[in-house]
Amino acid sequence: MSTEDGLARWLTAEWGEPVTLDNVAVSSAGARRLNMLFDAGSGSRHARLAATILPNIEIQILDIATEAEIRQIAEHGGVPVPHIHGVCLDPSYVGGPFFVSDCVDGETIPRRVLRLVAQSGTGPRLAAQIGSAIGRLHAIDAASAPVSLPRPEGGRPVAHALDLVRTAVEGLLQPEPAFSYGLRWLERHLPDEPARNVIVHSDIRNGNIIVGAEGLRAILDWEGSRVGDPMEDVAWPCTRMWRFGEDAMTVGGFAGLEPYRSGYEASGGVWEAERFRWWRVLGTLRWGVGLAGQAAAHLDGRARSIVMAGSGRRLAEMAYDLLLLVRP
Amino acid sequence: MQYRPTAGELLTDVATLLESEVLEAVSGPLQHRVRVAANLVRIVDREIRLGPAAAQDERHRLSLLLNDFEADLPTLRTALAARLADPEPLGGPFERAMYDSLLATARDDIAVAKPGYAAWKSDE
Repeated sequence: MSTEDGLARWLTAEWGEPVTLDNVAVSSAGARRLNMLFDAGSGSRHARLAATILPNIEIQILDIATEAEIRQIAEHGGVPVPHIHGVCLDPSYVGGPFFVSDCVDGETIPRRVLRLVAQSGTGPRLAAQIGSAIGRLHAIDAASAPVSLPRPEGGRPVAHALDLVRTAVEGLLQPEPAFSYGLRWLERHLPDEPARNVIVHSDIRNGNIIVGAEGLRAILDWEGSRVGDPMEDVAWPCTRMWRFGEDAMTVGGFAGLEPYRSGYEASGGVWEAERFRWWRVLGTLRWGVGLAGQAAAHLDGRARSIVMAGSGRRLAEMAYDLLLLVRP
Repeated sequence: MQYRPTAGELLTDVATLLESEVLEAVSGPLQHRVRVAANLVRIVDREIRLGPAAAQDERHRLSLLLNDFEADLPTLRTALAARLADPEPLGGPFERAMYDSLLATARDDIAVAKPGYAAWKSDE
């Protein structure tokens, strides 16, 4: 049975009347998720929906039920996300667990987002909206998150992140002195653990947002959610990786820092400049060792791919960005 | 010695083939992989032309920095990484010289892997 048939069968049971699917498209989402967009129609109802499917449960970061629950908690807290209509953990429909949500119209491809924002002149507003959404996410009591949400070791997200990146730097196939220097900078400038751990999305950036002419419509891809330091989320969309060539625009390539910061503070977020800087360096180094990990996975045969091979030639970019960030 | 085309000329030919004829003939995710492959061929071309001099310059900088004029480049890089992992303070003049050296290396690597990327000089 095809995925399409399986979804129709599940919706038929949910809606209590025969449902057919039309205009099915597969969206280019992350490597671990299959996202299918479709029109669902029955005698009385029609809706454009999205199914987020985990075809291979072996490679999940977060289980589908927890991801769906976090998205619902975020939505309840005022964070724009595509509304979830149902979760199905029975693999007999589409070969793996999935949830079905609204399909929110708009741009997600980063360069198209930049073009749309440039045309509509909404860069600062979009940055403020993202800041505000992150602030609302961080205002939620982390104790309300399901126990299945990953938590940092010992409740110490700063030490935990540093440990992971140190292990990765030590495990590089050959030494990368710029990365070693970045690691040393992180150790020297280690901030205290945050006063309050919050639910972090961990990958809010240009590329994981749906944008319309009026601004932010939804934040996508919650599979990296966990408990952590609020400034980790705040710093991530401001790294150079997510500016897509518009380097002077710190936030996602479309705005300066100020409207973003104001948006975050207006929804209750507490901005900490030194901690922001630390997480921006951490995120840059972590991305660099991630690229190195892709090259290693290609070389040792775990994931042979020309794209992964090419990641090995991207370390120079990360070394350069890192050095700019930690200039003595 | 081989006749023309040179290695670099051949790589340019391969990249051109991938970017024009092959890219037109394929669809879907393979298009992305073909673009990546073409870019890698161009990187290798630049690496053949620029890599040896860059490696020589990096070795020279690290020899001065670590006061070791015998070791090869991989050994010097390993020694510098070990020095950075050692909690012993770096010392201001050493650190500044090392930073300049690392930045020069990053610029040379970028000239091979992503020309133009180092044109951006500030992130604050």
